[in-house]
Amino acid sequence: MSRAEAVPAEAVAATAVTTAAAAARGRRPQTAAGFLALFRNELVLTFRRLRTIVLLGILALLPVLIGVVVRIETDGPRGGEGPAFIAQVTQNGLFLVFTALAVALPVFLPMTVGVVAGDSVAGEAATGTLRYLLVAPAGRTRLLAAKFTAGLVFCLAATVTVATAAVIAGAALFPVGDVTLISGETIGLGSALLRAVLVAAVVAASLAGLVAIGLFISTLTGSGIAAMAATVGLVITVQILDSFPQLHAIQPFLFTHHWLTFGDLLRAPMEWDGVLKNLGLQAAYVAVFGSASWSRFTARDITA
Amino acid sequence: MTDDRATAGSGPADEWQDGAPYRSRRRTLVRVAVPLAVTAAIAAGVGLVPALADSSPPELPALTAEQVVAKVLGSQAETLTGTVSLSADLGVPSQLLGAAAGGLAGGAPGGGSGGKSSGADPTAKLTGLLGGEHRLRVAVDGPDRQRIGLLEQLAGYEMIRNGDQVWTWDSSSNEAVHLTGARPDAKADGHPGKGPLTGVPTTPQEAAQQFLGASAGTTTVTVDGTVNVAGQKAYRLSVKPTGSGSTIGEVRIAVAADNGVPLSVVVKGTDGSTVLDVHFTDVSFAAPSAKTFEFTVPKGAKVTERKADPAPHAEISPEEAKAATEGLNVIGEGWTAVLSAKLPGNDVFVPAEGKGPRGKGGHGPGGGGKLENPLALVKSLGKPVAGGSLISTKVLNVLVTDDGRVFAGAVTLPVLQSAAGVK
Repeated sequence: MSRAEAVPAEAVAATAVTTAAAAARGRRPQTAAGFLALFRNELVLTFRRLRTIVLLGILALLPVLIGVVVRIETDGPRGGEGPAFIAQVTQNGLFLVFTALAVALPVFLPMTVGVVAGDSVAGEAATGTLRYLLVAPAGRTRLLAAKFTAGLVFCLAATVTVATAAVIAGAALFPVGDVTLISGETIGLGSALLRAVLVAAVVAASLAGLVAIGLFISTLTGSGIAAMAATVGLVITVQILDSFPQLHAIQPFLFTHHWLTFGDLLRAPMEWDGVLKNLGLQAAYVAVFGSASWSRFTARDITA
Repeated sequence: MTDDRATAGSGPADEWQDGAPYRSRRRTLVRVAVPLAVTAAIAAGVGLVPALADSSPPELPALTAEQVVAKVLGSQAETLTGTVSLSADLGVPSQLLGAAAGGLAGGAPGGGSGGKSSGADPTAKLTGLLGGEHRLRVAVDGPDRQRIGLLEQLAGYEMIRNGDQVWTWDSSSNEAVHLTGARPDAKADGHPGKGPLTGVPTTPQEAAQQFLGASAGTTTVTVDGTVNVAGQKAYRLSVKPTGSGSTIGEVRIAVAADNGVPLSVVVKGTDGSTVLDVHFTDVSFAAPSAKTFEFTVPKGAKVTERKADPAPHAEISPEEAKAATEGLNVIGEGWTAVLSAKLPGNDVFVPAEGKGPRGKGGHGPGGGGKLENPLALVKSLGKPVAGGSLISTKVLNVLVTDDGRVFAGAVTLPVLQSAAGVK
């Protein structure tokens, strides 16, 4: 919403805001329980939506689809072509987790996260529920924090959904046993499962930057669809930029650049360099876009 | 939470100021300042931390260039583990690298074999290192035992030598090559302890010795201060060709002060751009555990057995081998050495491609078809100059003469032309 648009509505906005601010002053000592209530509300709102459930369902189908395709095409891949770890999947079903995550991370996971994060504030504004939320004695920063946390939880849920579906499909379709890491060492199934959990956690964390970006875009507009499309479009644009050798200088700062470094955790010893760079970069994006969305949202006129 | 309280705290004061608007100028300023400050702080952190870490070159006793070179060549360090970062920008298309690998390895039909041939083949894999950025994990324990792990995105490639056994394994295709009868001493002439596993310099040692050992006489070597590399204090050698004609302007080598192990090599072209940068990002001189050099074939891996006999390309048709070895020779020495070869004709090239030892079943013929007339193909890549056509890259120049001879080297065009006898 532009400033000019907001001017005629200033009176309305000022009243709403004043009410909210006054209410916030009434319950000043903010308790952990108060924050948790808002947070729980956000979680329920996110995960009880049909849309979220469908998104998670699609994510769960992806590993199954990959597994079935690899299973039917029993010849095996030709000379290392195809998605990552495909050669290992036929030997060990657990690798389906890593294949599925590697396939889902560039497109599917960011798309679902973009939908959830992009819609978080703009969607409320579009349906007209945002002002009622702000009337509640919660404060805008707290609401934003709750939205952001719900987005992070969705990242984790989405990643865990992919990983769990992949473990089940992998175990059903392929033999499972000792795992050969990509540096040639063989480890037991137990420690391999631990690594899978670690990889899933890292993948979920690498979407944190995108949640912050989505939230920021969401505070800019009153249209949920616009925010979702902009967020998903941004992910695609950034990945295209990441593939140009000419843009070599800026690529380490693109939030998608280090996404696939999670593969380094499948070596012995684990190679943490790229993973730590990834997590650091995500933290930087969260700080920048988190503060930007705070700056925008707490100063914004809520007219819807 | 503190943010919230701050805004709520400052809010009422502004709000009740005799009907002033909710958003006063001060509030707006804070709103804008906070994200900007966060961005600035992060940018400063990203920019400054590496700069601070790199600053202050270590204090080391002054040594002459000869003493440092002697340190390198006489280095007794036999064991090492570390991570190497390698970035090469030769300006060569990767397809050409593949073809060159085939040619240099003794005439193996490498045309178009770039990265698509058997995944575990070391030649193709290593020439790939000459373009782009790579990270390698290196472990060395004397001349007999080395391990190089290429850390690729979501994949790995391992090369392990343990005595006369060499294993290579590619995780993305799950294919392994087992080379038996490799002679660890074969390549260790003059450089005991660092017989390279390959022709491509995968460690700073190998790269440094190529520059320091081979080019005495045509080179000025000076000590150019000290640097920290991978946490080690090091002398920095600056190596420059004395004569003109080379496309290499300068080679900078960092030599560990403690034991003379080269820790980084940076090659700069005559225009000052970096062509090759290979350096340790971390290094330790402790002996790697024996387990490092053991390799068990992963489950389901396709293993190709090979013998590292004196004629390593026995599968190649005799006439091709003859053409490849007889045609290849070196003109000149040092920085301006030029490699010359005769381009094979169709009659040799095309059938060889089909049954090449590395050609994958369906892939070989497809690749061969494209190379019906290699001379025309190569010439179409280059630009016409006196005596033939020139394929020019940042460092390497290749002159293909009209009669099908090839001259290549890290030299300028006139040197190539005089080697070819044109003009």
